[in-house]
Amino acid sequence: MLDFIVKRFIQVIIVVFLALTVVFFLIRLSGDPTTLFLPPDAPREQIEEYREQLGFNRPLYAQYGDFMIDAVQGDFGESLRSGEDALGLVLQRMPATFQLAFAALIVSLLIAIPLGVLSAYKRNTLFDRIGVGLSVVGQAIPNFWFGLILIFIFAAQLQFLPSSGGGSISHMILPVFTLALYSISRFVRFTRSAMLDVLNKDYIRTSKAAGAPTSSLVMKYALRNSLIPIITLVALDLGVLLGGAVVTEVVFSWPGVGRLLHQSLLNRDFPIVLAGVFIIAIIYAVINFIADILYAYVNPQIRVK
Amino acid sequence: MLKKSLLAVLMLLFLAACTEGTDVESQNGGADESGNTDGEQQESIVIGFEGDAATMMANHDVNYTTDTLIRNIYDPLIDRDGQTGEFVPVLAEEWENIDETTWYFKLKEGVEFHNGAEFNAESVKYSIDYILDESNGSYYRSRWVDVEEVVVVSDYEVEIHTSRPFPSMIERITEDLLIMEPGYVEEVGVDTASNEPIGTGPYTFVEWSRDNHLKLEAFDDYWQGEPSIKNAEFRIIPEFSARMSAFMGGEVHLFKNIPVDSVEEIGEDRVGEVPSSRINYLALSNLVDGPLEDVNVRKAINHAINADELLEAVLNDYGTRITGPLSELNSNYVETEDYAYDPDLAVELIEEAGYTPEDLTLTLDTPSGRYPMDSHIAQAIASQLQSIGINVEVQVNEWGNHLEGVQNRETGDMFILGWGPAFEPQSTIENLFTEDAPYSSFYDEELEEKIFETNALFDEDARFEGYAELQHDLVEQAAWVPLWQQADLYAINESLNFSPRVDEKINVFEISWE
Repeated sequence: MLDFIVKRFIQVIIVVFLALTVVFFLIRLSGDPTTLFLPPDAPREQIEEYREQLGFNRPLYAQYGDFMIDAVQGDFGESLRSGEDALGLVLQRMPATFQLAFAALIVSLLIAIPLGVLSAYKRNTLFDRIGVGLSVVGQAIPNFWFGLILIFIFAAQLQFLPSSGGGSISHMILPVFTLALYSISRFVRFTRSAMLDVLNKDYIRTSKAAGAPTSSLVMKYALRNSLIPIITLVALDLGVLLGGAVVTEVVFSWPGVGRLLHQSLLNRDFPIVLAGVFIIAIIYAVINFIADILYAYVNPQIRVK
Repeated sequence: MLKKSLLAVLMLLFLAACTEGTDVESQNGGADESGNTDGEQQESIVIGFEGDAATMMANHDVNYTTDTLIRNIYDPLIDRDGQTGEFVPVLAEEWENIDETTWYFKLKEGVEFHNGAEFNAESVKYSIDYILDESNGSYYRSRWVDVEEVVVVSDYEVEIHTSRPFPSMIERITEDLLIMEPGYVEEVGVDTASNEPIGTGPYTFVEWSRDNHLKLEAFDDYWQGEPSIKNAEFRIIPEFSARMSAFMGGEVHLFKNIPVDSVEEIGEDRVGEVPSSRINYLALSNLVDGPLEDVNVRKAINHAINADELLEAVLNDYGTRITGPLSELNSNYVETEDYAYDPDLAVELIEEAGYTPEDLTLTLDTPSGRYPMDSHIAQAIASQLQSIGINVEVQVNEWGNHLEGVQNRETGDMFILGWGPAFEPQSTIENLFTEDAPYSSFYDEELEEKIFETNALFDEDARFEGYAELQHDLVEQAAWVPLWQQADLYAINESLNFSPRVDEKINVFEISWE
């Protein structure tokens, strides 16, 4: 088991390292950001001087080497625009992103699991067809569009809820539902098929024959057994929710990491982008790491592989 | 089992609700302020803004968003009149150009910072020294390098000494310099001062939640009198549709930059318009190899493009035509002759240059979304040129790449660019029509000499003569197809008194409720 953990842990490090490397080189493709920070009438010598000061005049591999050496020590440098600690700026934003992601996850579970169970139980009825149909639609709708529609209806027309900003429960409702839409759709479909799988098992048929009441049949035997694969999906989706909330955060002006990353990319504030990617990669990799270990703990066959 | 996990989930929800408790209260307060209770509405305003400041430190980040927000907290020495663009004394009462390298300023007495400290000559020296000190990393330093020293003459008098003649000093001071409190920055350090600013401005800092909001409160002891609006909030909403919804829903009372095609939706009576000092133009570059090195081809393109039609059809007439390199808002502006729309003459000129229109394949670089309808304008220009047979390829660039292309002379033959806020000819002409300037697209040896000669002149009449001649020369050389001054479009709540400024700033002190 220890061996397994160590191996998986090394994988985490490799994932984070690769993510940083790829992003480092990708953002450099957009060119040298120095001029974006200077006034348009800055003379050429001045641009050169700043370029030197910021280190963008050096060969790319040297910049990369320095970046990695500092990054290993947890130093991602300072924001090019404001001069503040880049990692600090990212960490400041984490609570807002966590808040949104966890709320979206909880909402998705509360809505999706009962719907999935009912769909499976009432398989091939109108209810099931509508449910499955809607969840396909939910997965297909781009969330920036869905977000704007919600803003239009609930903020601009009905004026029930604030359109944007962060801080209170009322500010959370629209972005949480926007973000949850995709997960709800996935969870419904997954719960339904996992339930169907179990409902067709011999032991369910046997207990049915033995006269077990329907409610305990569904809740006690079927749901419990189909929960295991659902938990894996939840772990994966949590990673997606934490890292992938960029669009939702921008649409709703939610002050989380996604907004910061989006803004910093537009501003070419490389240190913040890299610090943000670092944090998201770690969260993603660690959640998977924990899921792997839990899985291995539950199912010893995986350890052997 | 299921009951237990449900219970756990509910507990989690409850906990989540509790931990936000403090925020909820402050936010509700905010919502009330912006809400519909009439009494309170007179006291406060919520302004929707597209981007957040990078820092609350003055004199650091050269950026419209940062500058607009913090100008409500800090005062400048000199400001501009919001409608005419003329210089207006603020913390400097008078100024004088003693000789080519010395400028004298007499400062206002009896002005206090938000922390009670007194404004004096030391504050001015400190603020300029902050820019000049390399270790501070201020991006303003690039245009202040010629300043050698700031000398405190007395408590309320300073002199600025420059290493070279610096005729645009007043312009620099007006546009860049905001006054910081030396004692405060020294005491708390740059990091804290960058997050909790102290100035002499009409509003004191309350709270800055990055990418969320900046809350300000009226400074009761403001030297120009108590601001009429007590609480101001800049709410950062990057997405236009969300900004508009917030305005429609009454959450936001004012925002800037309505796309021309959304004016109708907001309702023309709620839209304020001002011709900006920012101009948009089509550069006909003679710095990249190609047929545009020939002046006749450049003239032909001027004759082949119908800018009035572009303005009407693409921008719904939101813009003010310009015919030369400067807008009317510039000092030393003169009216220049417009190239009439004349496709036949255009073909003639091209043939004179030894081509036929069909020979020409030109590339037009444009950013997308930086200026009103920029990429649409580019397409429309291309089709106008195509109608006389010139083949045009439009290349749409991401903004950073576009700038870099212009700088490295890696654009096509033509590119769209904007310039501003522009109020005086020196910066525009020197930066856009000389060989080495980063954003230039045009070079002519004789003209360049004339440009530098004129820039160094101090005598006002001679300066006017010089720039007048340059404006005519540049039009004669057909260095650009001058397009228009952008129209800045604001959505304004019906009962708000607000006149948009030509310099794009939003000074809450100048706003009031009816």
